[in-house]
Amino acid sequence: MAGSIEDVAPLPASAGVVIIGAGISGCSIAREVVKYTDDVVILDKETDVADETTKANNAEVHSGIGEKYGTLKQKLNVRGNRLYDEFVEGLGIELKRQGLLIVITPRTLPTSMTRWLPKRVVRYLLERIVPRLIMRNGKKKGIPGQHVLTRQEIFEREPHVTRNAIAGVFDPTYGLVSPYKLAMALAENAIQNGAKLFLETEVTDIKVAEGAVASVVTNRGEIRAPIVVNAAGVFADTVADMAGAGGFEIHPRKGASLLFDRDITADYVHSSVAEFRMFHKGHSKGGGAMPTAEGNLQLGPTAIETGDRYDTSISAEEIEEIFERFYYLLPDFPRSAIISAFSGIRAPTLDEDFIIEASDRTKGFVNVAGIQSPGLAAAPAIAEMVIGILQGLGVPTSRREDFDPVRPAPPRFTELTDEERDSLIEKDPDFGHIICRCETVTEAEVVNAIHGPIPAKNMDMVKRRTRVGMGRCQGGFCGFRCAQIIARERGIPMTEVTKDGAGSWVFADETKHMLAEGDAGEAGQ
Amino acid sequence: MISKKKRTPQLAVIGGGPAGLGAALAASKAGLDDIVMIERDIELGGILPQCIHDGFGSKVFKEVLTGPQYAQRYIDEISRTNVEVLLNTMVLELAGNRTITAVNSAEGMITIEPKAVVLAMGCRERSRHQVFIPGYRPAGVITAGAAQRDINIEGLMPGRKIVILGSGDIGLIMARRFTLEGAQVEGVYEIMDHPGGLPRNIVQCCYDYDIPLLLSHTVTFIHGKKRVEGVTVAHVDADLKAVKDTERFIDCDTLVLSVGLIPENELSKHAGVTLDPVTAGPIVDERMETTVDGIFACGNVVNVFDLVDYVTRTSEVAGRGAAEFVLQGRKREAPVKVLPGRNVKYVVPQFVSDLGRDIDFYFRVEHPERAVTARVLAGTTPLKSKKHKMVHPPEMLTASATVADIAEAAKAEGRKVDSLMVEVVDSGK
Repeated sequence: MAGSIEDVAPLPASAGVVIIGAGISGCSIAREVVKYTDDVVILDKETDVADETTKANNAEVHSGIGEKYGTLKQKLNVRGNRLYDEFVEGLGIELKRQGLLIVITPRTLPTSMTRWLPKRVVRYLLERIVPRLIMRNGKKKGIPGQHVLTRQEIFEREPHVTRNAIAGVFDPTYGLVSPYKLAMALAENAIQNGAKLFLETEVTDIKVAEGAVASVVTNRGEIRAPIVVNAAGVFADTVADMAGAGGFEIHPRKGASLLFDRDITADYVHSSVAEFRMFHKGHSKGGGAMPTAEGNLQLGPTAIETGDRYDTSISAEEIEEIFERFYYLLPDFPRSAIISAFSGIRAPTLDEDFIIEASDRTKGFVNVAGIQSPGLAAAPAIAEMVIGILQGLGVPTSRREDFDPVRPAPPRFTELTDEERDSLIEKDPDFGHIICRCETVTEAEVVNAIHGPIPAKNMDMVKRRTRVGMGRCQGGFCGFRCAQIIARERGIPMTEVTKDGAGSWVFADETKHMLAEGDAGEAGQ
Repeated sequence: MISKKKRTPQLAVIGGGPAGLGAALAASKAGLDDIVMIERDIELGGILPQCIHDGFGSKVFKEVLTGPQYAQRYIDEISRTNVEVLLNTMVLELAGNRTITAVNSAEGMITIEPKAVVLAMGCRERSRHQVFIPGYRPAGVITAGAAQRDINIEGLMPGRKIVILGSGDIGLIMARRFTLEGAQVEGVYEIMDHPGGLPRNIVQCCYDYDIPLLLSHTVTFIHGKKRVEGVTVAHVDADLKAVKDTERFIDCDTLVLSVGLIPENELSKHAGVTLDPVTAGPIVDERMETTVDGIFACGNVVNVFDLVDYVTRTSEVAGRGAAEFVLQGRKREAPVKVLPGRNVKYVVPQFVSDLGRDIDFYFRVEHPERAVTARVLAGTTPLKSKKHKMVHPPEMLTASATVADIAEAAKAEGRKVDSLMVEVVDSGK
């Protein structure tokens, strides 16, 4: 019988580089390392890549404007943004640089500041001074192309923005990319070039000998490795401590977002829109209203300190908070068009900056920790920085001649012309069978995901790869069919199909009628 | 190359559920002999095959049938016509000029250019986030219709310990169904202070099985990271906000949602059909023709009916209307609006293009009321009225106006009837 662990190869006895964590950071690093050596192993405790913080990320490729000047994350953000087009090239991933509109409103300055000032002065500050401050701030950080918009120009561009808007700054380098699709594409391309990925493989210990990493112990065995990269996200402190390379603490911070029906919100905003609020508390860059890579509108995220690294719930208060925040910015927002709400855990350190360095206590151990937003935007620059560190530790410096940067992306029915569709259906009739009608996903795409380079074993894995169930009905119609295809392709009974791995069963058992039939059959044998 | 047949039928019916079946059959009887019916599922009948309980057909057939029986009568009749049925076929797009783009495995991409179209796509269930239920996102949160399909068609139990949110008819019916299959139904919780389903279903599905039905209650949190481990429920105040100190935890492995149905109008919208914000379905006239000439709509795509019999009736009107449009052509006159009056939430049809024929109205009340009279006004003149002992929002009410009634009202007022209204008033007055 096919199982979750039995059907993957055993862990190798040793590897040149072990990367712990297959989120956006780990996958970016893996794909960078594999350009120089194929002796790379990626480990993740979850059932899929990008299965924790990355999958709940808001998809923003920030310009870097929001980061404190001089921090590592600010530098890597600006650099990462610049590298992005090249970074995604060949991966079959779309980067949409639709820009960010920063809106200045009467709320931009806190009332504690404005209540002492004459109205005219406040108006002047908001209309003239604040935009210039933003521009100057951007210039200092090396962000190209920013420009000031008047109130009128804001409305021409984004007619739904509040009439309270006073001025704006447009940041054209800001973009959106699907974080989990990107992580998956990076991982797939790494695998295609020789890297090995082991999922459901949890690191339980790291052995250190003579001040250097010796091996990584997991629930599935031990791998000897001279170089270990810690990209374990919310668990990066725990993993670092295992290697005696800790000294920092991750304090989990939850971010919740709401997602809306594409059909209703497709033209609602054209770029991402955020309200600028100075001295406003909270560690999120304020979030925004943004059209996702797929065209759904997304509102969020929140920033809530939580003691629980597994707390991916969303509370009534968080939903209200998001609505309240955005009703001011977008007063006519169609609240009823909501289709989904989700949250993820950011992994900041107390210093709120990235920690990317080779440990000075444990040789061969590299921390890539404290990666919170703008981690997605900074990913190319993080990978670039890490490969530099790794090469200092012994990873080859000359690029492999046989490295293939092109990841063959599976065909997506919705993205094809009618002629392309016809020729695909002719070869494989399953391309003519729509499983998910909200997102127009065919049976063939589901089958391809199940047998893909990182095989989809459960419904959420199929969903992330194909968008089955991500639409307005949220799987009401396609959920069953998807489960059926998983059962068929994996040769398992329906009762073994899961939503996202062990414990998340979908069907309890068969109905009485079916059970009775089964009993009778057995009795007859 | 797959042989790509471009079809140019007289009529294309989108959807092969009760609405599509009724419309195709009526159009066929009215003289159309080139009809294509497009169904995305593997069989005709829509939702009916999974509705194995009875209660269907009391108005149309004057007998009580199960869902599959009701559907089969139409499927059998359709099989005796020359309606072309395309199963496993998904309509991808409907253009304002009525051109349909569809796809299936056998033919690939299909283009259909009919003279008229009937929209019969039915409705879908509202999902968890549309009613803002906080908590985790584990397996085990399922809509009532999906649960019904799992059990009745596929023979699979979506869970063993069930909480149902929403007292719509499907929720009530599933409370009984789960119980009959040996599952434990912990209760049906309804946020409103009145049930969402028909009175007969409350009695036959909840009370008869000792399943508690709690009004003014909602689920405030879903627990469990992998699979549902329980829900928090709470009493709600008059503004439907949960009252914090009434929260309590209920152990369960499944949350079944019966929190409303939404007409499926994505295709309609792309075709430029105007929708009614109240019904979420197309605005239609007395022949069930939408605001786009030659595009008709019927059944639950127009508004969610409580009885399949009404779905059938509107589909027959649409089918005949489409046949008339194709065979005789039709110019619509200045529309006369049909307005919802006192204690009426909405009325279908929303307008009338031709006062020279009898009209059936379907409407719902806004709030429950006792001892009332429902009546149609032509201008300010009341037409026929009907007394009701009790009216509930879930129940669809009907009224009609004949040509003679309207002509008489016009005479009495000394001018053309320029508006119609349906209202529900106190019987005492």
